[in-house]
Amino acid sequence: MSDERDIVLDNVSKFYGDVLGINRVTLSIPPGITSLVGPNGSGKTTLMNLLTGLLQPTHGSLRVLGISPDRPERLFRKVGYCTQYDAFPAGLNGYQFIYSFLRIHALDHATARQKTLDALERVGMLDAADRRVAAYSKGMRQRVKLAQAIAHEPQVLVLDEPLNGLDPMARAEVIELFERLAESGLHVIISSHILHEVDLISDRVILLNEGYVVAEGDIRQVRSEIQSHPLQILIRCDKPAALAARIISQDHVVEVRMHEDRQGLLVSSRDAERFYRAMNEVVLDEDIRVEAVTPADEDVYAVYQYLIGTPRREAS
Amino acid sequence: MAVYERRYRGYDGPLTPERTRFLVLTRYAMPRVFASKMFIVFLVLCAVYPAVCAFGLYLPHNLNFLKVIQIDPADWIRAVEEFLFPARFMSIQGNLAFLLVLFVGPSLVAPDLRNNGLPLYLARPFGRTDYVLGKLSVLAILLSAITWIPGLLLWAFQAYLMGWQWLTDNLRMAFGIFVASWVWILVLSILALALSALARWKWLAGLGLLAVYLFGGVFGGLINLLFDTEWGRLLNMGDMIHVVRAGLFGEELFFDFPLWAAWMSLLAVGGASVALLARKIRAYEVVR
Repeated sequence: MSDERDIVLDNVSKFYGDVLGINRVTLSIPPGITSLVGPNGSGKTTLMNLLTGLLQPTHGSLRVLGISPDRPERLFRKVGYCTQYDAFPAGLNGYQFIYSFLRIHALDHATARQKTLDALERVGMLDAADRRVAAYSKGMRQRVKLAQAIAHEPQVLVLDEPLNGLDPMARAEVIELFERLAESGLHVIISSHILHEVDLISDRVILLNEGYVVAEGDIRQVRSEIQSHPLQILIRCDKPAALAARIISQDHVVEVRMHEDRQGLLVSSRDAERFYRAMNEVVLDEDIRVEAVTPADEDVYAVYQYLIGTPRREAS
Repeated sequence: MAVYERRYRGYDGPLTPERTRFLVLTRYAMPRVFASKMFIVFLVLCAVYPAVCAFGLYLPHNLNFLKVIQIDPADWIRAVEEFLFPARFMSIQGNLAFLLVLFVGPSLVAPDLRNNGLPLYLARPFGRTDYVLGKLSVLAILLSAITWIPGLLLWAFQAYLMGWQWLTDNLRMAFGIFVASWVWILVLSILALALSALARWKWLAGLGLLAVYLFGGVFGGLINLLFDTEWGRLLNMGDMIHVVRAGLFGEELFFDFPLWAAWMSLLAVGGASVALLARKIRAYEVVR
């Protein structure tokens, strides 16, 4: 049953001649927002092309909601794809762009017309529908690409760098749209370099590097499994010295650093659960007033840094 | 982790027939072709020669005209058949067909490839064959309008004027017009699409098409001259379709060339073009 609801990759590899695209990827992707994260050439786009049926795996098997990619007629009805690159047939306006592809999707004129208008409205492009796509700004082109991906009401949405070029307002609107779609049960698969936004919107993350899946799942769960880098916890309180003195004696605590303003400390611990338990005891014993406790490296950026290396400048 | 209510339902409404879906591309390409005034003028010019032929076919059946020129109608009809229709008609309209392909063909695939448009088409229930068929149909429809459609109309007009006997005696002519036109349409169209896919720039694809057509002929002529042979004609597409046409119409050729070789030559051009299209029309180009 779950096979028909999820996207399942079983030991999938894709080689371009001798060049590795992805290798031995086994995943099960449930509905919700799943982000693909990794440096350039890590295999994100290859994975997306496999999910959309544009590429066939060299080895292994792949099923999207129970449909094999060798049944494109059924698969492509379920999948909406928004490419990373600007891809527009020449000379069309926004309305024609969406409408023509809906006709290719085999929708009749009246249905295609209605769905075109719906899709343009959802991405806030109705006013610009009769302008040529070539005259659109980068952000408008991103939104109209998104509109063509959602117009035929797919159940799986694969979006390659969909936030690129969007201004903050448009970005917030698009993220809200993704969240709405995901909440209603759609699979939204996003590749992005904007890690803090990935962190904000994703239900789960798939980290890729050099064609291999380095980690996958809920980001907190992934972080807790990285034993080589102790979890960093930021604590703001009124008696940081007292807290530090008691905490440092714990065997799982590897480092304690005081803040310069002496109103907080940064603790590195190999066992978050034991640390939180110990901290509660100390706080009660010493009557410490705690303002905030925040994991300092329990996000995509940190996980990326620990597992892959320092992200590029835009990956901030 | 979010809670998913599964309220979302994908589209499961009625669909248009799968077999005719490729015509969506044709429908969208046509307005762009007809947006050019130069093209419309060209298309009108393509109708001039068929109109002259129709006039020539009609004249021997006009008594007033016969009284004026004092020529035996049978001689006139023979002259028309020899100099106007069908042989010269096929040759002239065939050359115009090449010019039309030169005008329209290069812009059919190249812009999609240059603008990364193929993933958009192919990430839908729409295969590579549908894509090529959609683009091919643009050329096939336009070329039909200037080759076999006016050809068969002229043939039907002549049959109407001459009577049942002429019609039954000249069925081969109708068959020849239809088949020779389609052979030329398919070879030119597939070649133009392949070059458009290969070049990615329409002006370059146009140059390529011109080079294949003209330089093939020149190079073939050079081979004939140097080696005192006729096999150089294999590189001349114009000569090859001429041989095929002559075979279909049962006409004599002014040079000696085997019919099978002409068919093979055109088949080879078509086959190579299809192979090129199969390689280039992909959602993603594999860079090695």
